[in-house]
Amino acid sequence: MLDQFILGLSVVMQPNVLVYAFFGVFLGQLIGVLPGVGAITAISLLLPVTFYLDATSSMILLAGIYYGSQYGGSIASILLNLPGTPSSVVTCLEGYPLAQSNRAGLALFVAAFSSFLGGMVGVAILVLAAIPMTVIALKFGAPEYAMLVIIGLLAASMIGAGSQIRSLAMVVLGIALGLVGADATTGYYRFVAMPELADGISLVSLAMGLFGVSEVIRHASRRPARGAPPLSVNMRDVIPTRAQAKSLIFPIMRGSSIGSFFGALPGTGAAIASFMAYALEKRFSRNPEKFGKGHLPGLAAPESANNAASQTGFIPTLTLGVPGDAVMALIIGALILNGIIPGPRLIVDQPELFWGVIASFFVGNIILLLINIPLIKIWVLLLRIPYQKLYPMILLMICVGVYSHRTSVTDVLLTLAFGVLGYLMKNYRFEPAPVLLGFVLGPLLEDNFRRTMLLYGGDFTIFGTRPISAILSICSVILIVWAIWSGLSQRRKTARDTMKRNTLTSPR
Amino acid sequence: MFKKLLTTLPLVAALAMPAAAQEFPDRALRIVHGFGPGGNADTVSRIMAEQMSKGLGQPVVVESRPGAGGTVASGYVSNEDPDGYTMQLMVGGHAVAAALYESLPYESVDGFTFISTLGQFPFMVATRAGEYDSIEALIAAAAAAPGTIKIGHSGVGSTQHLTGELLDLRTAADFLHIPYKGGAAASTALMGGEVDVVIDTGTVIRPQSEAGVYDILAITSAERWPDAPDVPTVSETVAEGFAVVSWTGIGMPAGVPDEIADRIRTEVHAALAAPNVNKMIASLGAKPSPSTGEEMTALIEGQISVWSEVIESAGIDKR
Amino acid sequence: MALTEKNQRPSKVARAVSGAVLLVAGLVISFFAWGYPTGSLNQMGPGFIPQTIGVLISLLAVAILIVDLGDPELERPGAIQLRSLCFVSAGIIIFAVLVDRAGLVPSMFLAVGVSMFADDQSKPLTVLIYSIIAAGLGWLLFLVGLELPIPAFWRW
Repeated sequence: MLDQFILGLSVVMQPNVLVYAFFGVFLGQLIGVLPGVGAITAISLLLPVTFYLDATSSMILLAGIYYGSQYGGSIASILLNLPGTPSSVVTCLEGYPLAQSNRAGLALFVAAFSSFLGGMVGVAILVLAAIPMTVIALKFGAPEYAMLVIIGLLAASMIGAGSQIRSLAMVVLGIALGLVGADATTGYYRFVAMPELADGISLVSLAMGLFGVSEVIRHASRRPARGAPPLSVNMRDVIPTRAQAKSLIFPIMRGSSIGSFFGALPGTGAAIASFMAYALEKRFSRNPEKFGKGHLPGLAAPESANNAASQTGFIPTLTLGVPGDAVMALIIGALILNGIIPGPRLIVDQPELFWGVIASFFVGNIILLLINIPLIKIWVLLLRIPYQKLYPMILLMICVGVYSHRTSVTDVLLTLAFGVLGYLMKNYRFEPAPVLLGFVLGPLLEDNFRRTMLLYGGDFTIFGTRPISAILSICSVILIVWAIWSGLSQRRKTARDTMKRNTLTSPR
Repeated sequence: MFKKLLTTLPLVAALAMPAAAQEFPDRALRIVHGFGPGGNADTVSRIMAEQMSKGLGQPVVVESRPGAGGTVASGYVSNEDPDGYTMQLMVGGHAVAAALYESLPYESVDGFTFISTLGQFPFMVATRAGEYDSIEALIAAAAAAPGTIKIGHSGVGSTQHLTGELLDLRTAADFLHIPYKGGAAASTALMGGEVDVVIDTGTVIRPQSEAGVYDILAITSAERWPDAPDVPTVSETVAEGFAVVSWTGIGMPAGVPDEIADRIRTEVHAALAAPNVNKMIASLGAKPSPSTGEEMTALIEGQISVWSEVIESAGIDKR
Repeated sequence: MALTEKNQRPSKVARAVSGAVLLVAGLVISFFAWGYPTGSLNQMGPGFIPQTIGVLISLLAVAILIVDLGDPELERPGAIQLRSLCFVSAGIIIFAVLVDRAGLVPSMFLAVGVSMFADDQSKPLTVLIYSIIAAGLGWLLFLVGLELPIPAFWRW
């Protein structure tokens, strides 16, 4: 495998191919930074360009946009609490508090480096274990997906910073929003108050509204409380200390693993991976109370997860010719138009293409790291611009970005509605992040659960009899038990602390 | 200065417009389609747009208005001015929608001026390699064990779904139809063993059939497909008269004057004949099929009645 | 806080807002969901999950109500910045209304302009200049750079 990788490198390292790799990741990064405008827009616009290119260069270009956008998405999340892509939503949770406490440079550095490492892990899996991952992924049928989502939902309520009940309510609300549209199993229209809702609420509208517009509303008339950013950025302030770096090793490892797994599983991707990584990081942490206030592991884990996922997302495309999501479908379309039929024969028939593309990921991630580190200084200096001058442009980008998705005015208005909702929610101490997770996972659970029932004649025991889903069921039971136990012990702890405090302070 | 430029430009444009109605076309045209970026519809639209702009001497822009299976775009186009500048890339789903939806914001046949079909393509009946010797064997198995052989399809109310139901209707088979979100998901399910049959387009099936993972048992067109002459049709084997093709075509709002419609048709046919367009359509598994407006109308009407029958008998809820 | 002023503590009504609004949402969802066919647990109709969700939200809303009402030290909700809310909303609505009819550039210009008034320290001249620059940059980025298929002005 390693010599095939070298073959791939030799394909990529030619100047004319390298140019496309660079251009692809650069454009992807740019797209990721812009809120609302997504990889799918960029790729579909560049599709005609690929007609004039050979298949390898086309794919390298388009792929670069795909995983490049995962680097850019975190920048606006950290600086402005505005996710550039839905998978960067979780980055806001830790990145923005870091920026507000004058550690934006550090946050950007950690994000870039975690993204790089996550991407590299993804590439390594592509090189070493693409076929085994495919085999495993194919073993995941409807029951397994359903159990996976249940685990995800159990973890989801952990994301919210505030009270558990409120977070849970937000997850359920998110599920409700995800139900809008045609029911996948019967085609029945649910909550379709107007025809524009027939295809459901768009994730971009929800994310940009709840996180983008609501932030603009919050800060447009009131200057955000923020220390003045430094006049010049010292690299020493940006690079994490030894202790900080050490604390990031395991989160990055965990994040990359989770990301690699969800990337390879069709139908799930970077967004779910980043949520999952964050939630599990918080679950496994010894100091869960630090989350939400600028906790570096909480930043590193999802950042490495979403990049790992965007790399392994190519596994079903490259090994099976089956797109894992809509963006992959575009890329496969580009291949088909170039006369290449993706599929299990691709690795045999077109080894230069296969390994060239994988090698381009390797090179692309390096390019992105090299681009991003020096840019940190510039991004931090951007924070000196008063918010009042920035927010109209942000609003503009959100409007145009959301509109351009489905050429839909309704989407823009929905974004506004979610913006107002998100703003009010936060005022009343409801966290928006769990809504997004419920929105993405809820329909996935319902579809897969009902499909399972359809496939196996309504037999519940199937969840226990199929090996993988049995394991997952046990995991979810463990999670539930653990959650209850830790909730109880937390309550006992606070009760003890309160008693201690009361005996120490004099009675009023 | 910038300000002046920005304010005078629209004024100039506004002044220029009334004087323009001389030679068709005198400004940009557009092809609207009802699907997301990068799908078949979008790709075909873009290639046609590029090619036709050469013949028309004006830019042709592509506009994507996805929603509700393409009906949002159809509703939009149907209400536009029949001045010849708005075209729609229509797909087989147009006929499906006519049968599937209780009420639509447009007339499926009378609301449009049909120009020409672009390409037609069949669906393929695929199973995992080696499981069934032939389509006859599959149908026999499905008839012998009703409700156990599972067909995965790309979504309730999709053409693929209805084709599977039609197969049920026209043969003794009794399949269990399992919905997925798109052909890719259904194909993955077939590979993973979750379902036994998938009926879908070449784009979905060919990667696996070329690799020997799938067998293509039959093809749904009325006659054998030139690209796959060894594959029997459903009609010649298990269900005589079975003919399902999906298609792409160009339509315009109803009431477009004949001269303009004819001009557009000429351009469409010319574009179809161009080698790169030809190649593209073929790569999507379709057969370039220029037609007259009447032929396209007949095709659509025929399909509407077949799908209505299928939806009725399969008990699919109308939307 | 050692001492809580009585007028700094939110009233019972104010504390009940979160739970009440959520309860209304839950009831509305349930209302619509009950019209859909339910089916059974292993043969779920399209209505099963919506109904469950509606009930779940309502229950959680009641729980939140109970918790909030039982906590007299509850934080006041943040003050609602009406000016921000109004002008940002107006800006987005203007964009939504105009973009299909007037094209991208006028929509951008007006949306940016109107939303700038959310800043109570904005001056009309600054707003005008900024809006023009923003519309220009937007034109460059979206129409020239990204070539989005949106008409710049009307049907031009």
